[in-house]
Amino acid sequence: MSVNGKEPMPEKIRVSPAPHISHRFSTRSVMIDVIIALIPAIAYAGYYFRFYALILIATCVLSAVVTEWICNLICRKPNSLGDFSAVVTGLILALSLPPAIPVWAAIIGSCFSIAIGKMVFGGLGSNIFNPAMVGRTFLTACFGMLMTTWTVPANIDARMPVVSAAMPDTVTQATPLAWSKQAIKTRNLEDKTKLVPANRANSLMADMFWGRVGGCLGETSAFALLIGGVYLLVRRTIQPHIPLAVLGSAFLIGTIGYVINPDAFINPLAHLISGGMLICAFFIATDPVTAPLTTKGMWIFGVGVGGITMLIRLLGEYPEGVMYAVLLMNAVTPLIDRYCKLTPAGGAADA
Amino acid sequence: MTVDVKTGRTFPGGVHPPGRKGLTEDSAIQLAPVPKQLSILLSQHLGAVCRPLVAKKEAVKAGQKIGEADAFVSAPVHSSLNGVVKEISLQPHPVLGRTEGIIIDVDAENAAAKQPCANQFSVDFDENQFSDEQILNAVHEAGIVGMGGAGFPTRVKLQPNKANPIKTILVNGCECEPFITCDYRMMLEWSEQVLAGIKLVRKVLKPERLVIGIEDNKPQAMEAMGRAVSKSDGIEVVSLKTKYPQGGERQLIKSIINRDVPTPGIPPMINVLVLNVATVAAIAEAVVFNEPLTHRVVTVTGPGVEQPGNFYVPIGMTVGELIEVCGGLKSDAVKVILGGPMMGISIADLSCPITKTSGAITVLDAKEIGGAKLEMRETACIRCGRCIEVCPMNLNPTKIAHAVKHGLFDVAQDYYQAACIECGCCSYVCPANIELTGYIRTGKIAVARKKKQESK
Repeated sequence: MSVNGKEPMPEKIRVSPAPHISHRFSTRSVMIDVIIALIPAIAYAGYYFRFYALILIATCVLSAVVTEWICNLICRKPNSLGDFSAVVTGLILALSLPPAIPVWAAIIGSCFSIAIGKMVFGGLGSNIFNPAMVGRTFLTACFGMLMTTWTVPANIDARMPVVSAAMPDTVTQATPLAWSKQAIKTRNLEDKTKLVPANRANSLMADMFWGRVGGCLGETSAFALLIGGVYLLVRRTIQPHIPLAVLGSAFLIGTIGYVINPDAFINPLAHLISGGMLICAFFIATDPVTAPLTTKGMWIFGVGVGGITMLIRLLGEYPEGVMYAVLLMNAVTPLIDRYCKLTPAGGAADA
Repeated sequence: MTVDVKTGRTFPGGVHPPGRKGLTEDSAIQLAPVPKQLSILLSQHLGAVCRPLVAKKEAVKAGQKIGEADAFVSAPVHSSLNGVVKEISLQPHPVLGRTEGIIIDVDAENAAAKQPCANQFSVDFDENQFSDEQILNAVHEAGIVGMGGAGFPTRVKLQPNKANPIKTILVNGCECEPFITCDYRMMLEWSEQVLAGIKLVRKVLKPERLVIGIEDNKPQAMEAMGRAVSKSDGIEVVSLKTKYPQGGERQLIKSIINRDVPTPGIPPMINVLVLNVATVAAIAEAVVFNEPLTHRVVTVTGPGVEQPGNFYVPIGMTVGELIEVCGGLKSDAVKVILGGPMMGISIADLSCPITKTSGAITVLDAKEIGGAKLEMRETACIRCGRCIEVCPMNLNPTKIAHAVKHGLFDVAQDYYQAACIECGCCSYVCPANIELTGYIRTGKIAVARKKKQESK
């Protein structure tokens, strides 16, 4: 080898900006981690809601993937299925659907999630709202009846009032949160015989923890969701701020209600393990794309999600408010980011 | 003296890249063979470019000053070996692209290559035989600059300032970059010389506290330096958590004395001075033996080079020739980096010379770099916030990078792009493989250019 550049540079040598090495994870590995973390919830859905649950999950995932593929085709964009984010969206949407929803409705929700929730904004990373929640809201707005029909496997010793028989091997009954709502609504009635006591829901805490109650596919078992959440935290796929803020604020508001009137308001712990609270805290609110970037912002966002959810549950018309809480806080995420600007180490001086 | 092996001292943020020091950490510093030619760049430091003192065909001696520093913030350059000036022309420079350099045909018979002089120092070194003025002059005349990478002229740093005196001197023995072991070998083999340099600096600046900071993955260096300072009062050796960029000036200060250097600003503003171990070793040599800075220890390492090792190299030797000394590039080598893999500069032209600030040549293969990084496959930011989590300066790298990408330089400045130390943690950790550090650097350059134009 000679000096002074007389010899051309070796062919294979490349140049690029530093750093020249990188941590071995990618968007895909992050998404795969989320999928792995959802496996316990999927397994529980399959166990409690039988084969139909698995059909619904597969339908949602498949239609999400196909929708993204078609959107990319239409926009002449490179195929983005490799990042697995469509699979995650499909899974989360499926797990937040009622178990008896028809397949065609699941397909509509899933397509809407990806096409309107994500792709029209420019694909992964550009969407403002959580795609799965966008799809679910759309379904709730269009097919309200379907979205509030809760079935539980008939072989479970269900202690909730039966509403109607929907499918041969299942019955439809009120969810603990619907019961809780009834308790709140009837608390000021003159006629004491019509009062619905809140402790009925409290007595079901163990069932709620293990998932032996009515509810969305993946939301019934607190146990399965906790396993997934802990996995994500241990793998450092998510940071603990948002889950802590969501659960902490929800617990606090739930406690206030419980202290004021324990007959009308259910135990705050029951709030935490019922409905979409846990799947929201660990899987939905922590969607990095639609949550704030800074630690301070994450706390504000999490408290917002937990707080709005509980306000809806305790004071609003609906028994459950996770979906609206997440979407509302998604909408203010850019604002939160703007007002939670970081100060560099060593103080903020002009550049 | 105290040796404090309590670990855990650290700064917020940072990453843990694989250390990969095993390739060269047991390889003693060996003399590099005499090269055929030298390319001595006239700009090897921050500050004014040197004025050449020699003409074409003129014979030069080893250690002869061949480039004079006319400005205060500058450092002269010297010929590393005996030889004849072949030409003075534009030469490839790792950072500046091309810059003026002096090409010297080395006198192969009588090159007068320097030997390390570490064995002539002892732990009882008495710094009081030299006056402050002698020390400062020697440092300037020897052309000593910060050898850790920045290349700031050391004479300027050592200038005592009555109004704002230096109270703490930190000697940087962290060497947090993966692969590199030159400072480590120096601390092991040249501990007495490093100590002598520290004592000379102490004599000039009279700080209240003097600390040598070493990462806790180098227990042998801790031990060697601990032995060296055992007879000297008031010099501490402290252990720091192994984390990149522990050896960054601001991070080192944060870890040891828990203070933040103002941004923009320099450590003397909070009465601190940071010197690299290689720099203090060069100071000792310059003051005691009047030897200019013409040689330095360079680690040649990485999976892409046949026989990695640590070498005592004449400044001006080309990267290509030094790699040949190590058995040449392996067939699967894809990147030649001047420095380490986190902050080093990848070069295409192997005729780039070793300068005063080049502590290492790292040659990486495709496997070490990783597929996505190699192909520079950048995907959309998923706003995961990992870059913010690891940023040691508490910046918002993704925000700055996106602003730069879209030409919104005022937004980039608004998010304090100027405070970025370009350590590379954000790019290292990014799952979408976005070259955040690269974008931020681009933004800084664009803003500097704009300012220059406006001032015209």
